[in-house]
Amino acid sequence: MKPTPLTIAALAAVVVTYIRAIFFTPIEAVQGPVQKIFYIHAPAAWVAFMAFGLVALASALYLWLREDRLDRIAESSAEVGVVFTTVVLTTGPLWGKPVWGAYWTWDARLTLTLFLWFIYVAYLVMRGALDDRAMRARYSAVLGILGALLIPFIHLSVYLFRTLHPRPIVMKPSAPSLPSEMLTTLLLAFGAFTLLYIALLRARYRYAVTRDGANPAEEHRAS
Amino acid sequence: MPHNESYYYTAYVVATVIYVAYAAGLLFRWNRVKARLPGKDE
Repeated sequence: MKPTPLTIAALAAVVVTYIRAIFFTPIEAVQGPVQKIFYIHAPAAWVAFMAFGLVALASALYLWLREDRLDRIAESSAEVGVVFTTVVLTTGPLWGKPVWGAYWTWDARLTLTLFLWFIYVAYLVMRGALDDRAMRARYSAVLGILGALLIPFIHLSVYLFRTLHPRPIVMKPSAPSLPSEMLTTLLLAFGAFTLLYIALLRARYRYAVTRDGANPAEEHRAS
Repeated sequence: MPHNESYYYTAYVVATVIYVAYAAGLLFRWNRVKARLPGKDE
């Protein structure tokens, strides 16, 4: 698999984001340097939600049109989404420990995000366990759609429940409540990690196409 | 909270390791299935 212009652009964007976040973005007065975790944590969450949203969309379209490529898109997006959710679930506690005094708390947002991760890990495990291609695609589509129903609850959980997790400071009806230097870095990070998601999704989709081409006659496991 | 740099560095390293590990694993799997393609040497 040769690097494409998209892959190179995504890597460059992520490197630029890291450099800007680490060296050229001011340190937040109250939390100190640890607040800079924000620039990798929040974009990873955004991308994860987008990835699982695409899983639901492709899955719904699969149930309607029964096209294999829609199943491959859903499968690929779910796997990449799990990677980004893993980043959310590891960087979040590393931010929480110095700020909240605990790596983890069983509040609504954290717990629902963990549930989301479990659902899509189960989605991938189930795909690996089912040999029948049509059955695997159908069952996966249903689980992919049901899992994505959690996303609006996760986004709204900070309004619906008492939680330690801060409320959105960008994705809210009013204007973003961030100084312009921090907002620029955050928007750059959103763009860079979205680009990284698209590059990884494309690579994962190409892998799925190649895998299916290598096993055209036999039923294969989605490993 | 002045002395929390280690959490910040660790988070960036952990996130990078996760992305790189996934990309490397994907490349490994892709090369494996590519080798199984009939008539493909690439």
